[in-house]
Amino acid sequence: MEEVIIARNLTKDYGNGRGIFDLNFTVKKGEAFGFVGTNGSGKTTTIRHIMGFLKPQSGSVQVLGLDAWKDACEIKKHVEYVPGEIAFPDLPTGTAFLKNQAELLKIKDLSYANYIIEKLQLDTSANLKRMSKGMKQKTAIVSALMANKDILILDEPTTGLDPLMRISFMELIKEEKAKGKTILMSSQMFNELEEICDRVALIFNGRIVDIADVNKLKNLDYKTLKIEFNTRQDYLKFKRLKYEIVRDQEKYNQVTVKIKDEKINQLFKTLKNYSLKFISETKYDLEKYFKEKLMEKKEEKNV
Amino acid sequence: MFSKALFFQSAKAHWVKWLTVTCATCVMLAIVIIVLGNLGINDIRDSLKNVFVQADQEATLKENAVDSYDLYITTANTNNQMDTFATLGSSYINGLIADYDAEVLRQTEENGELTSAQKQQIAETCVTNLLENMKQDPTLSVIFQIVDEQELKMLLVNVLKAHDQDASLTGKTLLMEGYYLTVYDNAYALEIADGKTVEEAIIKGEAAKALAKDIVSKLPGKKDDYSSDAANYVNEYMYTTVYNLQLGQGATEDDAKIYATSVKVISNTAISTYQLWQNEYNVDGEITDEELKLAKNEAIKSISDQIPQKVGEALTELGNMDMYGLIIGSIFYRIAGLLLPMVFVIMTANALLAGQVDSGSMAYVLSTPTKRRAVTVTQMIYLLTAIFAMFLLTTITSVIAVWVVGGNNFAINYAEILLFNLGAFLTMFAFAGFCFMCSAIFNRTKYSLSIGGGLTIFSLVCTILGLFGSSVVPSAMRISAMDFFNYLSIITLFDTVSILDGGLSYLWKFGILLAIGVVTFIIGIFRFDKKDLPL
Repeated sequence: MEEVIIARNLTKDYGNGRGIFDLNFTVKKGEAFGFVGTNGSGKTTTIRHIMGFLKPQSGSVQVLGLDAWKDACEIKKHVEYVPGEIAFPDLPTGTAFLKNQAELLKIKDLSYANYIIEKLQLDTSANLKRMSKGMKQKTAIVSALMANKDILILDEPTTGLDPLMRISFMELIKEEKAKGKTILMSSQMFNELEEICDRVALIFNGRIVDIADVNKLKNLDYKTLKIEFNTRQDYLKFKRLKYEIVRDQEKYNQVTVKIKDEKINQLFKTLKNYSLKFISETKYDLEKYFKEKLMEKKEEKNV
Repeated sequence: MFSKALFFQSAKAHWVKWLTVTCATCVMLAIVIIVLGNLGINDIRDSLKNVFVQADQEATLKENAVDSYDLYITTANTNNQMDTFATLGSSYINGLIADYDAEVLRQTEENGELTSAQKQQIAETCVTNLLENMKQDPTLSVIFQIVDEQELKMLLVNVLKAHDQDASLTGKTLLMEGYYLTVYDNAYALEIADGKTVEEAIIKGEAAKALAKDIVSKLPGKKDDYSSDAANYVNEYMYTTVYNLQLGQGATEDDAKIYATSVKVISNTAISTYQLWQNEYNVDGEITDEELKLAKNEAIKSISDQIPQKVGEALTELGNMDMYGLIIGSIFYRIAGLLLPMVFVIMTANALLAGQVDSGSMAYVLSTPTKRRAVTVTQMIYLLTAIFAMFLLTTITSVIAVWVVGGNNFAINYAEILLFNLGAFLTMFAFAGFCFMCSAIFNRTKYSLSIGGGLTIFSLVCTILGLFGSSVVPSAMRISAMDFFNYLSIITLFDTVSILDGGLSYLWKFGILLAIGVVTFIIGIFRFDKKDLPL
């Protein structure tokens, strides 16, 4: 697959440990790539480099084979962008802003823009300054998506949206992805990224800790089950069986078992003879994955 | 390089501000010009000026009176001396003329027609010989006690000159003719020394000669003291001259009488003062030329001589001050009229770049295929268009206002008002460039505004303070140390004084303003291409 965005040793040092350091990642054509990290971890700085707003201190970013800094204008013909901070130009209404934006983008056919406006239930005639944060966010999303370009870059696009709006926004992004757009988005929400992205990079203190393949995480060939027994005897008896126990809480007569999918039936047959208080599956998600990775990192450092 | 959409976006964002500032400035300007044009603020100034003009006229009048008085006394004394001289030395004079004629004849035969300089030479030689002979004659040597030898020599040379003009003259008449020539020569020489033209000097000489002849014709007979006769004669003479002059200029008889009488009074005062001071200096029985001069100075003093010199200078300056130039040029175009456009430029230049980078709204422009260079060039063109349109309207307003108050008859003509507008535009162009550069360099509004706007306002404040030290403020109110502030302000390069003086030094200053604007705009544009944008 063709690589649309390539970051090589991308570094921008703002001093005091702030900035981004030695970032390497690639985004393939048609792929949805996510950035996750805490505030100030470097997500926005990275995106600004891709947009050509910042000049790399060392290293480089290439978009479609062009240098993001030098050919910033050329790249914009293929990139649409939803900035993290929403501040509009000094124009009276949403309609005026979108019209102006269409002129800057040199697009004449506004039917797609109208489609998105409807989808997001946006009233563009509202005064631009008086808009709620959610409305502003929607307006920004419309202004980005209306040109229907190949690459979509979003910097924390769902902040300020109510849960329902978030769902229709996610649908919209999924639609864009289905069309074959390459998507790069940052967020503080793991579940959001998990839902849309193919791969997610965790940025911590300006460094990529790990890049996770979301599809692999979703399709694990084992489950993690938490089982609590009513009696002490059953608990001890179960422990003698040869299941892989990842967590053992003696106090509650509780065990957490990691089990291959094909062995599930066998486990339930065994449990028929035990008196259980409950059995529940512990989901293994992105959040968990990255927490583990961070722990590993910390341990490495401590050792 | 130019984005139409962005241009209109900026125009939409700032038109209210632009319109307010432009209207306010135009209205202020129109009011200033029309009100000044109708109120006649120069009335006080003109009356002040009149005081000095009258004082000057009075001084001239008094000087004339005193001079005429002197001439009367000299003429009367000379007339008496000539009587003595003619009786005593008629044979000598006849001899002198004969010698002179013979010498002229001899030299003419030798060298052809003689020039006047050559004749003068012959006359001087003859007179020198004559004077030598006269000194030997005990009866005649008395004359040297009455008349100064040099004066006598000059007189006799003039006698020979007069003889050249009319050979029939003899004796005392000839001597008096010589005296008149001396009077003519003295008056002529004085005028030339005063820097007057030859024509003026000739007129003056002729007038003095005529006056002397008139005096002789009215002499009362031999006296020891002619001072009261002289005074009466001069007063009467001044009266008649002015009276006839007034009638000639179309005044009524009554008016002419009143005016002539007032002149007579002035003349009388001057002569009385002169006589008093002469008596004052005459205690030792001898009056020197120096003392005579002092007495004359006292006599011709006018108001302007009686107030202290510094006050006089200050008042003269106040009288010569150009109030229109000060109020319209130095106060309106350089201070009041600049303030509002300046506020517009500071706010707009900041909002065009730094404001949008700081808020992040620039991201929407730069995430479209619009180059940074296109953004800066478009915003610069917008800013320049806005201030150009603003000053185009103030120019039209000012030209109409000047037309309303009388066009080129107004204290400030069309050319000057156009140059004022051009200067104000160029000043604003320089400020726009500077504010634009700050807006392009800084990502934060607070820095862009405090440096771009701060220094711009600082310049204006310095010009206000500097006004109190500049040459447009009369010296009575001027604090020259305040002039220092003018060196801290770009507005000093907008030289309204030079424009009004008709000098050309404002041109190179305009050039510097233009250069400041061009350079700062270019720095801003290049810097914005290369900097990091937090969008």
